[in-house]
Amino acid sequence: MSEMRVMFTLMRGNAVSMAGFIIVISFIALGIISPYILTRPEDAWGTAYDVSKRYLPPSIEHPFGTDEYGRDMLNRVILGARFSLMIAVGVVGLALMIGIPLGLIAGYFGGKLGNAIMRLTDMFLAFPPLLLAIALAATLGRGLGNAILSLAISWWPWYTRLIYVQVNTVKSMPYVDAAKVLGLGDLKIMFKHVLPNALTPVMIQAALDMGSAVLEAAGLSFLGIGVQPPTPEWGLLVSQGWHSINVAWWISFFPGLAILITVLGFNLLTDFVREFMDPRLRITMMAKRVI
Amino acid sequence: MPLSRDYLMKRLILLIFVMFGVLIITFVITRVIPARPELLWAGPHATIEQIERARKELRLDQPIYIQLGYYLIDFIRGNWGISWRTKSSVLQDLLNALPATLELIILAFFAAALLGISLGIVAALRRNRIIDSIIRVFSVLGASMPVFWLSLIALLLFSSWLGWLPSSKRVDEILVIGTGFHPITGFYLIDSLLQGNLPVFVNVLNHMILPAAVLSLYPMSLSVRMTRAMMIEVMQEPFIRSFIAWGLPKRLVIYKYALKNAIVPVIASLGLSFGYTIIGAFMVELIFVWPGIGLYTSMALLSFDYPAIVGAVIIVALFYSAINLIVDLIHAWMDPRVRF
Repeated sequence: MSEMRVMFTLMRGNAVSMAGFIIVISFIALGIISPYILTRPEDAWGTAYDVSKRYLPPSIEHPFGTDEYGRDMLNRVILGARFSLMIAVGVVGLALMIGIPLGLIAGYFGGKLGNAIMRLTDMFLAFPPLLLAIALAATLGRGLGNAILSLAISWWPWYTRLIYVQVNTVKSMPYVDAAKVLGLGDLKIMFKHVLPNALTPVMIQAALDMGSAVLEAAGLSFLGIGVQPPTPEWGLLVSQGWHSINVAWWISFFPGLAILITVLGFNLLTDFVREFMDPRLRITMMAKRVI
Repeated sequence: MPLSRDYLMKRLILLIFVMFGVLIITFVITRVIPARPELLWAGPHATIEQIERARKELRLDQPIYIQLGYYLIDFIRGNWGISWRTKSSVLQDLLNALPATLELIILAFFAAALLGISLGIVAALRRNRIIDSIIRVFSVLGASMPVFWLSLIALLLFSSWLGWLPSSKRVDEILVIGTGFHPITGFYLIDSLLQGNLPVFVNVLNHMILPAAVLSLYPMSLSVRMTRAMMIEVMQEPFIRSFIAWGLPKRLVIYKYALKNAIVPVIASLGLSFGYTIIGAFMVELIFVWPGIGLYTSMALLSFDYPAIVGAVIIVALFYSAINLIVDLIHAWMDPRVRF
């Protein structure tokens, strides 16, 4: 807990990291409350249709303008935060659910089984990021659930590797040997003594990875294999504004800006946490703070 | 120092293993997971006869291991199926599209490496000054950028509004007909130079600026960050400080001794960003109508051209594995500690 306090004290001294933290918190908060703060819910969910209001440029009434169906873009972008958050949490959560058990088994038991699991991760990581998700999404078809599943399946090997490395360090700790000498079963040692002590770095990495998940999901939607219209997912909104970009630049501009700011927030926070975790850099950070 | 034969053999075996893995995974995704793969393979508007033909082509009436065997044989024979969008062989389509993508990506990486390393050095030497902060903000922005959105904005700004640069394709058709330009290698920059066709060369370069700039942003951001971090570390090493203390020219110390010791992780980071860049090319080529692998794949995705999607996924994954191998070999060649 004191570790967390030190982290926040250091963060307050660093405007850029603080900005990242605020962006991430706002994104999560907006994702949770967005359906309840909409001024034009029917526009946001895409059920409204008003030709008289199509392609209105940004104004006080419509700060982000309107799209080809006369829907208010601000409302659509706000609701989009919810879908991006759902995707981010879904992808990372599902990837953890696959990745952690496999990494734990591979690290704890090692041997042929461990080797086989790690070679499997090699095969999955032979695909560039997003490519495997593209292949899967094209097979499964469009939809929110399919997009999450496709991304998670291309994502889990990273967590398996991380957990594997952690478990290998923890496994040789004296308390694990003590548990073995006491005659505890493998399952009990794995879940009570090894996993809790191996989990922290993986969970931190996973939380920070949510930014990349937002970006990749937007890419899938842009390519037409992510979520389905009229879902106001940011990547899909950018793609829908593409064909009218010369008459109404705002339709693509604002959702894309939302993606950029969100991912930027996560990246700034990642940089801070990485510096914080590195003892050498942390000393410089603390020194700066004291002086 | 040359690489040992053992190390090369080990890496080559690993590459073959990984490529085999790529084929198995694509097989599972495209043939085992779908309930009726023949429906995907034949396309959305297929007739019953076409679906039946697809069933035979995929040998779906055979057991799964025989299907896998034929899948691998078909792959090696270059029988990657027929794209129903272009009505021609997928492998042929992909090979035709390859030079356009390679030319674009090579230019993007060249620019990214050149700019990224120089900016990284500047940031490291002016650490914690204003210029350093600007470069760092720029690099973190570049790493967070949705590439498809940036393409649209760049197109709108530089092509539609300012009218400085062309918006699509590799070269103006009128110029091609007018000057009698004809592709030889498929790399238009090289072809136009070979034919001494300067107008076409300039025109091709003009077409490349926007998509290459957008694509280079991610690898550039990564290499800036890596160069900066490594240079800061290396500049504090005792041997560099000795050189500076001896009064060697700073330029010589930085570029000859410090950079040499900092460059290996930078190359590794560029290699790492290749995966993102080639996927980024799917979207960038779609937006700039650049007739490469990316446009081909994106069009296939948008029109549910399944054989083309599968072929593109395989070829991109193979390319990626090959690039990774090359980066690792460069790494091992430059840093003997890696060779064990």
